[in-house]
Amino acid sequence: MRRWRQQFHSWIIQQALGLTLMASAHAADLAAPGFRPGAPGVHALVGARIFLKPGTLLERGTIVFRDGWITDVGPDVRPPSDARVWDVTGHIIYPGFFDPYLALPTATGARPEGTSLDSSSSGASKDIPESGAAVAASGGYRFFGVSGQERDPGGAGPGYANADVIPEFRMAARYTPDAKLIDGMRELGFTGAQVVPSKGVIRGQSAVVVFGDGGPNESILRAQSAQHIAFSVSGGDNAFPNSLMGTIALVRQSFLDARDYANRNSSSTSGVPKQLPRYNAALEALQTTLSGNPRQTVVFDPESPLMVERAGAVAREIGLTFQVVASGQEWRRPEIAKATAASFIVPIAFPAPPKLPDDASWESISLDQLRSWDWAAENPAVLRQNGVEIALTTHALGERKDFRKNLRAALDRGFSETDALAALTLVPARLCGVEAQLGSIETGKLANLTVCDSKGYFDPEGVVRSVWVQGRLFDVAGESTGKTNVASGGKSTNTTDTAEAKAEKEKAETKKKEARERSKKRLARQPWAGRGPSATPPAVLIQNAVIWTSAEAGILTNASLLVVNGTIRSVGTVPTGSLPDGTVVLDMPGIHISPGILDCHSHSMILGGVNEGTLPSSAMVRIGDVVNSETETIHQQLAGGLTVANLLHGSANPIGGQNCVIKLREGLGPEGLKFLNAPPGIKFALGENVKQANWGDKFTTRFPQSRMGVPTFYKNRFTAAQQYAAAQQRASAGGPPVRQDLELDALVEILQGKRLIHCHSYRQDEILAFLRTMESFGVRVATLQHILEGYKVADEIAKHGAGASAFADWWGYKFEVVDAIPYAGALMHERGVQVSINSDSSDHARRLNLEAAKAVKYGAVPQAEALKFVTINPAKQLQVDRWVGSLEPGKDADFVLWSGSPLDSSSVCLQTWIEGRKYFDRTLEADRARALAEERTALIAKAKAIAGGSGGATASDKAREAFFRKTWEQASHLGVQQCLDCQYPQRR
Amino acid sequence: MRRFTWFWMVFGAAIQLASTQAASLLLKQGIVHTAAGPVLTNASVFSRDGRIVAVGSDIQEAADATIELNGAHVFPGLIATLSILGLVEIEAVRATVDSVEVGSYTPDVFAWLSVNPDSELIPVARANGYTHAQVTPHGGVLSGHSGVVALNGWTIEDMVVLRSSGMHLFWPSFGIDTTPRDRAANKDQWKSVEDQIKERDRKIREITGFFDDGEAYARAKGAADATSFRTVPAWEGLLPVLRGEVPLFLHADEYRQIQSAIDWVAARKYRAVLAGGRDAWRLTSLLSTNSIPVAFEHVFTLPVRDIDPYDVHFSAPGILVKAGVRVAVSGSQERFDAFNIRNLPYAAAQAMAFGLSREDALKGLTLEPARLLGLGDRLGSIEVGKEASMFIADGDILDIRTQVKRMWIAGKEVPLASKHTRLYERYRARPKP
Repeated sequence: MRRWRQQFHSWIIQQALGLTLMASAHAADLAAPGFRPGAPGVHALVGARIFLKPGTLLERGTIVFRDGWITDVGPDVRPPSDARVWDVTGHIIYPGFFDPYLALPTATGARPEGTSLDSSSSGASKDIPESGAAVAASGGYRFFGVSGQERDPGGAGPGYANADVIPEFRMAARYTPDAKLIDGMRELGFTGAQVVPSKGVIRGQSAVVVFGDGGPNESILRAQSAQHIAFSVSGGDNAFPNSLMGTIALVRQSFLDARDYANRNSSSTSGVPKQLPRYNAALEALQTTLSGNPRQTVVFDPESPLMVERAGAVAREIGLTFQVVASGQEWRRPEIAKATAASFIVPIAFPAPPKLPDDASWESISLDQLRSWDWAAENPAVLRQNGVEIALTTHALGERKDFRKNLRAALDRGFSETDALAALTLVPARLCGVEAQLGSIETGKLANLTVCDSKGYFDPEGVVRSVWVQGRLFDVAGESTGKTNVASGGKSTNTTDTAEAKAEKEKAETKKKEARERSKKRLARQPWAGRGPSATPPAVLIQNAVIWTSAEAGILTNASLLVVNGTIRSVGTVPTGSLPDGTVVLDMPGIHISPGILDCHSHSMILGGVNEGTLPSSAMVRIGDVVNSETETIHQQLAGGLTVANLLHGSANPIGGQNCVIKLREGLGPEGLKFLNAPPGIKFALGENVKQANWGDKFTTRFPQSRMGVPTFYKNRFTAAQQYAAAQQRASAGGPPVRQDLELDALVEILQGKRLIHCHSYRQDEILAFLRTMESFGVRVATLQHILEGYKVADEIAKHGAGASAFADWWGYKFEVVDAIPYAGALMHERGVQVSINSDSSDHARRLNLEAAKAVKYGAVPQAEALKFVTINPAKQLQVDRWVGSLEPGKDADFVLWSGSPLDSSSVCLQTWIEGRKYFDRTLEADRARALAEERTALIAKAKAIAGGSGGATASDKAREAFFRKTWEQASHLGVQQCLDCQYPQRR
Repeated sequence: MRRFTWFWMVFGAAIQLASTQAASLLLKQGIVHTAAGPVLTNASVFSRDGRIVAVGSDIQEAADATIELNGAHVFPGLIATLSILGLVEIEAVRATVDSVEVGSYTPDVFAWLSVNPDSELIPVARANGYTHAQVTPHGGVLSGHSGVVALNGWTIEDMVVLRSSGMHLFWPSFGIDTTPRDRAANKDQWKSVEDQIKERDRKIREITGFFDDGEAYARAKGAADATSFRTVPAWEGLLPVLRGEVPLFLHADEYRQIQSAIDWVAARKYRAVLAGGRDAWRLTSLLSTNSIPVAFEHVFTLPVRDIDPYDVHFSAPGILVKAGVRVAVSGSQERFDAFNIRNLPYAAAQAMAFGLSREDALKGLTLEPARLLGLGDRLGSIEVGKEASMFIADGDILDIRTQVKRMWIAGKEVPLASKHTRLYERYRARPKP
C-alpha cells in the first residue's frame, strides 16, 4: 500500500513536470553515433552515513535511484542488479542543498531612460502628453512635467504605470544556466536554487531550478515559484519613488490596482455601465498572489531590520502569503522578526574587520560598525532562538566561497547543525514549494544529494566530494580541496614536506584556531543596552518643586506632583491619604518641573529619506512606515526634555506625505514609539521649495513653478478628491466600482476633517492664497509651519483658526525669509493666533525650551505663556492636548526636571519622564558613555587581532568591504543638524 | 611702531564719527561686567574721547553726558571671532554671497574689502551686543586675510579696525570615506582608503611646500644679492604670517586633523589659533603645551561619534579652559553663522550650564576674541585705557530673556534698531482688518 502510494506520488510528479522528464527516459536518450553514450540511469550508493533529513541519521545505508528519482533507501537495501554500485563508505550524504534566493541579473531596462519631459531637454514647451483617459488612469503618478514614469513605449510593452513594478517578469522565461555560477554553487554542495529577479520594487517571479547540465528546459523544476518585492529605492532624482516610504506606498497601490483590475473585469452587474476593457500584464500577473489556489507566495526583501516589520504589516494588510529575506541585522530587534510570524531566508554574508593602513584610521570606525560585525555571525542563532523558521542562502555574499566559513562561524555562535541542515534542505525546499521533490532523502524524491568526506559539511576541514543532481554525478572535490590548501597555507604555496615547513604549517594552524576562538566570543552588547527607561515606579511623588503647569494654574512654587500608573494624579498641594505601595518620593527644592516638550515639526527619526519629492502630490506616502527607533537622536532629544515629536515629510512638493506623531519612548521599536491617540495629519508646502526655485537648472518643468500655480494645483487635487469621494459613494450604492487611490484617500480624509494639514509656508501672499483655497473646500488648516511672514497676516490666520508653528528666529538663509523677524511669535500671539515654536532640526529639538525663551526676549511674551509655545500650544495644534502638553490631573505623566527655570539658558535638563517612566537621567549619562567607549575599545582590539592574524588573512576583500555597508538604520544615524528647510542647496 | 601709528589713524577716524557725541560719558551706578576681573556692583564707567578712563564706585568727575543705570548691566562689546558678517546677505541668492573665492592658495585676498556697510545683518548682530566682528574669507586651502570691523560706519574705511587680523588655512580632512565602490554615488571618483590617505598626505606636503616657497621669497626680498627678485602679490600676502605679525588660523575639527595641523604649526613656530576645534577637547595637552587658543565653533554641533555622551560639545569649552586652553566661543565662516551671530551668547551660556565658569563664558565672547585677534590691549573688556565699546542691558547677556538697551562703539552711541524692529513696529501697528 505504502509503496503504491509512493509510486503514484512519483507518477503525479512526473505528470506535473510534463514531457521533459519523460523524454529523458525514452528515445531521445539514445545518443547519435559519435557522441559519448549516456550513462545507465541506475545507481546505488553503498556504505555511507546518510542524513535522510535534518535530525535523522542513518549510520550506514544504501540509496538507490533510477532515472533521477530515488527508488529505495535504507540500512538493508540491496543494490538492484542493473545498478552501478558506488562504494561511498566513510562518506556522509545529505539531501542536496538548495538555495532559496539566488538573485540573477534582470535583463533589459525596465526603467525607461528619459521621456519627452526629460529634465535635460530644454524648456517646458516640448510636446507633452495631454490629459484624457491615459493620464487619468495612470495610477496617480502622471503629473505635468514629471519625467521618468512612463514605460518605454518601444520596449517593455503593456504594464504598470510605474517602471519599478514589473510583476509580469518571469525568471523562467529568461533563465539560461550559467556554467560558471553553477560550478561554484555545486562546489558548495548546492544542487538547486530558486532563481530570483533583482531589479525594481515589485520584481517579478522566480523559478526553481536544479544544477544539472541540461539546458533551460531540463533545469527548471517550477516555473513561477514566487513573486518578489524589495523595499529598494532605485529611483533617480526625478522618478517616483526616490524614498523608502515612496517605495512602500508604491507596493500598496500596486496591489490595490491588482484587486481593482480583477473587480473591473468581473463586474458585469446588469444595469451598470460596462467599463472599457483594458489589459495590464503587471496587474494580471499579481492576481495569483491575491486569489490563486494556492496563492502564489510573495517574498519580501525589506533590506533593513526595521523594514522587516513593515514588510509583514504590508503583506498582512494586502492579504499575502509571504516570506522575508533577512537583512542580516535581525539581532538589532529580534522581537520584530519573531512578531512577523514569517519564514526567513537568511543570508550569511558576514563582514570582516577592515584592513586599515594605519592605526590612526581606526578613529573612523564607529561602535555601531563594530557591533554589526561582531553580531553578524550570531544572526541565524538569534532568529532560531526566537522561534523563527529559517532557510539559508548564499545571497549577498561578496564571495560565494565565504559561505562555508561563515556557516561555521554561525555554528560557533550557537546555530545548531540540525537547524543548519534543515536550513539548507527541507526548509528552503518547502519555502519554494518543491518539498515533494527535494529537501530530504526518501523514495519518490529527486536524487539530489550532497556527498562529503567523513568530516562532514560543518567541519571547516570537511570536503564536498560530489553532488548528485537528478541522478547525475558531478564531481567537485578535486578542485576545491586544492584551493583550500592554497588559501590556508598563505604564502607558502610550494611547501615541501620539510620539518621546517611542517612547523610553519602547525603554527598557521594554531593561529587559525586562535582566531576562531576569538571570533566565537561576542564582545558587542545589545544595541539597546543602556537605552530605555531607567526607572518605572508604580507611582512618583515630587515635592517642593517649582511647577510650570502650562495650564490655568500657571507657575506653582513649593508644589508637588503625584503620578500614579503613568498618569498625573494631582498637581499643587500634597495629596492627603496614603500613597500607593512603592511610590518613589523625591524632594526637589529649587528644581523646576515643566510638561514634556513637544516639537511640532521634526524630521529626526525617519528612515530612507524625508521627502518623496518627485511628484507634486505624494499624499500616499506615510512617515509612519519609516519611523527609525534606532537613532541616537532620540536619546539626545530626551536629554533636552523633548517627549513628543511630530515627524513630518519634507517640503519638496505642494502635497507631501502623511505625518507620524511619536512619543520618545526610547528602546521600543517603531510601533512602540507611535502616539496612537494623535489624529493623522499630512505635510503641505508652499513657496520656493515646491516651485523648485533652489533645485538647480534641471528642475524647471514640474507644475507648479510659480506661486500662482500652487493654489491651482491644490484646487485640482481637491476637486479630484471630491469627485473620487462622490464616485465611491455611488459605488457603495451599487454603482460602478472605483479604483482605490491612496493619494486621493488621504485628500478625502482631509475634506472629511479627519486628517490635519501642517503646511510649510513663508510669505504672506501665499499664506492667504492657501487659507482661502482650503476654505473654499470647507477645510480648516491645522497648522501653518515656519510661517515666517505670518505676523503680517496674523488677524487672518486667527480668523481662519489655523495654528502657527514657527521658527523662533531663523532668517537670512534664502530669499523668501527676507522679512522674517524674531518677533513673529509674539505678534501672532498678541493677535490671538495659537503659536508654537518648532525645531525642524535634530539640534534645536534638544533645546526647544530655550527657543521658547526667545519669545520673552523678542516681544515680551510673559514667561508662562512663552513656555506654552513648546508645551500645551503644540499639543493643541496636534490635537493631543487631552493627553499631553500640560501638567494637570488625568493627563499622561510626561514631565521634565530642570536645574532652574526652563527659560534660563544656564539651566540643565536633569530628568525626562514619559508616562511615569524615567527615560533620561543626567546622573546616569557619564556611566553610559563610559560603557560605550569601553565596548568600542574592546571591539577594536578584537577586530585588530583578527584583521592582523591569519583569521583576517582569509577574509575576502568583499567581506571587508561589507564592514562599511550600511542599512537604513545606520545611514541616517545622526539626523539633521541644521533646520531641514535651511539645508541649502540640497534638496529638501 | 608701524602698528601703533596705524592704530591712531583708525582711532582718529572713530573719534571723528563720534564728533556729534558727547566727548565724555558717565555710565553711573550699575552692574559692570568688566570681563577682565570680577563683576562690579554699584559701579560706574567713565569714558572720554572714546576711551575708558575710569571704572569704579567713586567716580567724582563730571561728564558731558551722564546715564543713570539704576542697576542695569554694562558689558564690553561682544566680538564675533569668525564670521562672514557683511560678506553675505542671503545665502541662497548667489549674487549676495562674497565670502568665498576660487583658487587653492589666495593669500592676497582681503575680506574686509567686501563688507557691505549697509547689510541688514549688521544691525541685527549689534542689537544683541556685538560691536565688532572678524570677517573671514573662505574657499580653497589658504583663503586669505580676515579683518576686524567695527559694526557701525558709513564706509568700510570707517568700519575697519584691522585690515589683517589673520590668515586662514583649512587643513586637509582626515575623515575617510569608507563607502564600498559598488555603493559609491560616483564610481569613477571612488578611492580606496589607501589612496585617500596618500592624497591627504600629498595635500599636506603641498601646504608645506607652499610655506617653504614663501619663506624663500621672504629671505630673497631682504637679500642684497637677490638680483632676480620680483614682487609677487601672493607671496607678499603671506609675509605677515611668516613674520609673526598676524596669527595663522588653522581650521580643523577632527581629532587627527587637529593633531596633524598643530604638529605642523608647532614645528614651524608660527603664531596660531585653532579654528573650529570640534575634537579639541580630546587634545587639551597638545593645545596647552603649544599655547594655542581655540575659536570653538561647535557648542551646538550634534555628537559625531556614537560613543560620545549627549553633552560632548556642550562640555567641550569647560574641559578646554580647565586644561589651560584659551577659548573663544565662536560662530564659523560658514552658512548660517552670519545671521545667527546674535545667538552666540547662548552657545556660551550652554557651555556655562555644562561646566564653563560664568567668567570664562563671558570672556569667551569678549576678551578672548580680542586677544586672539591681536586687539587685547584695545577691546574686549571694561578697563581703563580700553576703547569705550560697550553696551547696557537689563540683565545678563548670557540669558536669552535679556534686552540690550544702548550701545557705544569707541565712545559713539550707535542705534539698536534693525530691519527686525522696524518690521515689528510696522506690523504691530497694523489696524485690525
